[in-house]
Amino acid sequence: MSGDGRIVLDGRPIPYRSGDSVAVAVMRAGEHPQHGGTVCLAGDCGNCVAEVDGIAYTRTCQTPARPGLVVQRHPAAGAPPLRAARQIDVTTAPPAGRIPVQRIEADLVVIGAGESGTAAATNARGQGRSVTLLDARDGEEVVGIYAGPTVIVRTPKGMAHIHARDVVVATGAAELHPVCPGNGLIGLVTARAAEQLHTAGVDLGVSVAIGSPPSGVPCTPVGGSLRRIEGVGRVSAVVTVDDDGEGERTTACETVIVGLGRAARTVLWRMADDLPVTVVGPAAQSFPLPEAPTAGTVCPCSRVDVDDLVGVWERGFQDLELLKRAALVGIGTCQGSACLPHLRAFIAERSTAIPEPFTARPASRQITIAEAAAGVHVDAFRRTALHDEHVALGAQMDRFGGWWRPWHYGDHVAEYWAVREGVSLGDVSTLGKLVVSGPDAVEFLERLYPTGVGDIRVGRSRYALLLNDGGHLIDDGMILREAETRFVLTFTSAGAGHAEMWVRDWAETWGLRVHLLDRTMSLAAINVTGPLAGRLLERVGLPSPPRFLQHVHAEVCGVPCHVMRLSFTGEVSFELHHAVDRSVELWRALMAAGRDLGIAPHGLQALQGLRLEKGHVIVGMDSELDSTPRRLGMEWAVKMDKPDFVGRTALARTAGLPDPRRLVGLTMPGSAPTEGSPIWSDRQIVGHVSSSFASPLLGHAVMLGWLKRTPFPDEVMVDGRSAVAVAPPFYDPEGGRARA
Amino acid sequence: MNEFVERRLTLRWQQAKRAYDVVIVGGGGHGLATAYYLAARHGITNVAVVEAGYIGAGNSGRNTTIIRANYGIPEAVRFYQHSLELYQTLEDELDCWMMYTTKGIIWLAHTETAMRAERARSLLNLACGAETVMLTPQEVKALCPQLDLSGGGRYPVLGASYHPAAATARHDRVVWAYAQGAMRLGVHVLQHTRVTGLLRDGARVTGVETSAGPISAGQVLSAVGGNVSTLAAYADVRLPIRTHPLQAFVTNDYEQAFQPILSDTELLCYVSQTERGQMLIGAEFDAQPSYSLKSSFSFLQSSAAKAMHLLPFLRNLRVLRQWTGICDISADFSPILGETGVEGFLVTTGWGTWGFKAIPAGGELMAELIASGRTPPLLEPFRLDRFASDQTMADPGSTGTH
Amino acid sequence: MPALETLPGLRIVASPEALDAAPWSAGTVVLRFAPDDAFAIGATAVDIADDHAIVAEESGFVGRWLTREELDDRLVTHIEWPLPTALPALAQGLIAGVPAKLWLTTDRVLLLCAAAYAAELADRLG
Ligand SMILES: Cc1cc2nc3c(=O)[nH]c(=O)nc-3n(C[C@H](O)[C@H](O)[C@H](O)COP(=O)(O)OP(=O)(O)OC[C@H]3O[C@@H](n4cnc5c(N)ncnc54)[C@H](O)[C@@H]3O)c2cc1C
Repeated sequence: MSGDGRIVLDGRPIPYRSGDSVAVAVMRAGEHPQHGGTVCLAGDCGNCVAEVDGIAYTRTCQTPARPGLVVQRHPAAGAPPLRAARQIDVTTAPPAGRIPVQRIEADLVVIGAGESGTAAATNARGQGRSVTLLDARDGEEVVGIYAGPTVIVRTPKGMAHIHARDVVVATGAAELHPVCPGNGLIGLVTARAAEQLHTAGVDLGVSVAIGSPPSGVPCTPVGGSLRRIEGVGRVSAVVTVDDDGEGERTTACETVIVGLGRAARTVLWRMADDLPVTVVGPAAQSFPLPEAPTAGTVCPCSRVDVDDLVGVWERGFQDLELLKRAALVGIGTCQGSACLPHLRAFIAERSTAIPEPFTARPASRQITIAEAAAGVHVDAFRRTALHDEHVALGAQMDRFGGWWRPWHYGDHVAEYWAVREGVSLGDVSTLGKLVVSGPDAVEFLERLYPTGVGDIRVGRSRYALLLNDGGHLIDDGMILREAETRFVLTFTSAGAGHAEMWVRDWAETWGLRVHLLDRTMSLAAINVTGPLAGRLLERVGLPSPPRFLQHVHAEVCGVPCHVMRLSFTGEVSFELHHAVDRSVELWRALMAAGRDLGIAPHGLQALQGLRLEKGHVIVGMDSELDSTPRRLGMEWAVKMDKPDFVGRTALARTAGLPDPRRLVGLTMPGSAPTEGSPIWSDRQIVGHVSSSFASPLLGHAVMLGWLKRTPFPDEVMVDGRSAVAVAPPFYDPEGGRARA
Repeated sequence: MNEFVERRLTLRWQQAKRAYDVVIVGGGGHGLATAYYLAARHGITNVAVVEAGYIGAGNSGRNTTIIRANYGIPEAVRFYQHSLELYQTLEDELDCWMMYTTKGIIWLAHTETAMRAERARSLLNLACGAETVMLTPQEVKALCPQLDLSGGGRYPVLGASYHPAAATARHDRVVWAYAQGAMRLGVHVLQHTRVTGLLRDGARVTGVETSAGPISAGQVLSAVGGNVSTLAAYADVRLPIRTHPLQAFVTNDYEQAFQPILSDTELLCYVSQTERGQMLIGAEFDAQPSYSLKSSFSFLQSSAAKAMHLLPFLRNLRVLRQWTGICDISADFSPILGETGVEGFLVTTGWGTWGFKAIPAGGELMAELIASGRTPPLLEPFRLDRFASDQTMADPGSTGTH
Repeated sequence: MPALETLPGLRIVASPEALDAAPWSAGTVVLRFAPDDAFAIGATAVDIADDHAIVAEESGFVGRWLTREELDDRLVTHIEWPLPTALPALAQGLIAGVPAKLWLTTDRVLLLCAAAYAAELADRLG
């Protein structure tokens, strides 16, 4: 402690003494941290919470006073203000103000450093176990015990996440709060709080003690039981009755010290009911319930009176959980610590059994949202090796499938024309790439894919769908054969992670002899596409590039590449797969070599239009969770005469069922309707557009869309205009350009 | 005095009889609403709702209370729009202040892909009679001044869809109001009575076995939320349902300062302020199926971090309480309602993480089905046999959270 | 935190036995990502007794050697999982929320991650 000083209470400086908590300092100044109510100074109740340094609902009894600390009391009625939410110009995140997190491993965590907790800790240490002993009195407030068990603690140094083998809850017992008329006045303290205040030298004025008196505190004990407390704002007298409830006696006083008994602090233990957590000491004891309350505030956190309980009970809410929800008791800051014994007594008096306490949930001590979040990181995004190249070229970057990708470089139509008429580069590094090798490689892939695999010749490749057991499309890509027993599979950028797991799972399930190596993040890939692509590659080391659907290993611009000839854009395309650390070099060399050919990169936006003109489906965009090859018009990619493949059983079963769902091509004059536009026929919605593009080359809109009602109409309405069904591809239907 | 203490509703409990025309298993919103509509719309009052704990003990008393109709397939938009319209007049019908408050929901998009999905949602919703419009970042800011448009420097907002009719209501009151309405018309609600088996006559279900003895019934409806697989197994029905936990947390009460419901398509977290002033934060369901009601710290940690990226003012608010429900999530993320192929046994399930908003329509239409024996048109798409005929109702982009 | 640099090497997927028996030149650090998956840092060739082994040049990882002190001072606060104590050991998990790996020996530690995550990791470690 730093000695004496001043804190600010409601804008007014008040002194504190070394060792004071904020609550004690406030009471030393003759004030109450709230506007009344019994003060326990033990962190149990919510009667001393205030806004401290801008954070409302701070337990002032658990907060050491320090110079300049600003305390603002909550309003007497209503909730504390959301200051930060009122300053509406929060355009950027506030300075991070990182909250440190400590990660601790311990054989045993003991919560509560009282007699029983200290004994448990000493005992365990004696057995050579590592022990972490926590106590709220040292500022170590346990928020909750979670699976693990993991004990989450707020400490003076930040947050601590403690991973324990065992936990001992030794949290002791809390003093009961009085429930009677006038219990919301200023001037009520528990016996232990009175001791604390007296030791700290706080003058309690004329004090009377009810029940077991505090030790060492000057006060007048009054017998009998508490009936009510009188006063205006502050206590002026206490009224007691004898044990028969007769003989009211009024005693004038300034402070009422209550020693009404205790209740075990079981919250943390109850929270952890199926974890290796034991409870010791008073926390494990069962204390007698108080008398059933008859009047006064029963739940100070929610400002609920006994009358409210009675009203709710009489209207049928006769169950602790219903009572809690209807009367809103036990759900405030103290989470029932102050009211639960009284609620149980209330119900016990009216029914045949004493109800079990209600469910205990985190947080048992409230942390801020920033404290809760401390130490966590949001998902990491991936960058391709060419990220900085794209940014330097003015790309607008977008995230897709967990990667940053260029959406466009300023003019997606110009990028489109570069592909259709010249030569263009696309960064396709994000594609999934998986090497499969092993004596059973062919059999494995035959079982995995609905397409034929064994008849793909070495040096050739084939487009393939990946189906799940339901026969529904989950991904697509190429199967490239590198050797008799060695293949490379490609997957979509967004689907690659799942596809890799899927493939590995089946390899395990079938126990086939295959090795798998995921190269997705090890290999970059550049798609060189456009009618001049071949000319460009001739210049940079590929005099006779592979033919359509062939692939070779060759050096391009001096960089070793796996060159795959295929086409998503509809033009001649070569995908150059190469080591990520050579990617910038390759990209720059290609850009330089193609300068006179008008080379320009294209982004995803242009690519989506280009492929749509070809009618190529993008998985997850055009396909839905239950898209079968039949619905997608892709039955040509399925060989039902294979003995088996994943999804075959389902496809065979559903083949005979009526199926009112089809993905079709549509065209219409003019601009492209917004993707997602409903498709209408006879004034009914019969489907929606999944992709659309105003084709610069064709001069009209092309679309893929779902029709979900039979008979499938040939003419429909989209965006208030008439559109006709046209079997894709819309562009170069014979595919001559890609094969050129 | 706390203005939110329940001061109007009355619940009248009855002794169980040995037989009813209809036994509904599960005293959540769907079970109680079905009972109410059976009595109120069809005069079928010899009905019991059998509840293992107390009414609302399941997800109906644990949800984040978002009511909206901005779904992604026409069948769903129409169904939820109908439910939303029932909600709008429910306080009058059931004579209860449910704190129904229209707030509007903003769904933020941070990528082109998300923008595309939200544009599609907006068009489809408008076509199906639910208003959803697109907003620019500036328009979002005008509706939600506290939002950091840079998303903590990491999730810049490109735009959003906005569904102005979205609302919230106090979940418990919805449950109690339906219970009161049903009880007033003679329905029995039997609390602390667990169904442990089904009475069978051959294949037919003829009643329930309970912790308090057998009860026979003309028809049995399962409305047991996340426990549906167990209950259906008693009837030898296997459902395409998995049970996943869903969690949420609230802060202490603060003055009213946050008007809309803010939801994020990428971070999958959402934030609103309750009528009592708590900030209520939810996120997506746990990936691992489980029946555990235990909350996890990783959920609290990650959803707190996500929400702070959007709303920096949250950082200094205090986490009051976190909790978990277990959700019945179907294979296509749409509900499953109606006949099961076993005579006398019906289900209302697959409500997953989004079935609170469906309580009025789900109850009303299930009651109609039970009373008439015919599937109402709005329920037709959600029949169980859609899975066998491969006509599923996939709507993954609309569900999974609230 | 100084930059993470490409760690060239060989990636081998082969039967566990073949990998166990592979002869490496002295001083080569071989990380076993899985029983059938190894990354030999700095290696350029290997003789492996598995006809179907996949042997590929690997440049998809970036990394940096740290002292044990640097690990304790700068990294440990970003790690929410227990570090192995029996050394040497390979540990894999999230570091500052980024998928990463640690090769821990008694005197030094190699931090590595996929090149695609390098920028994020560097950013978060500050
Ligand atoms: C954290 C969370 C947030 C959510 N947020 C939203 C939201 O914002 N908007 C929205 O629309 N939906 C939301 N939901 C979903 C919504 O809460 C549920 O879909 C809906 O409440 C389901 O109602 P129900 O009546 O079908 O099931 P429940 O309310 O779960 O009721 C089922 C009842 O059956 C009882 N029961 C179970 N087994 C038996 C048995 N054997 N015998 C007798 N009784 C039994 C249970 O005790 C329970 O009371 C959320 C869910 C959770 C968990």
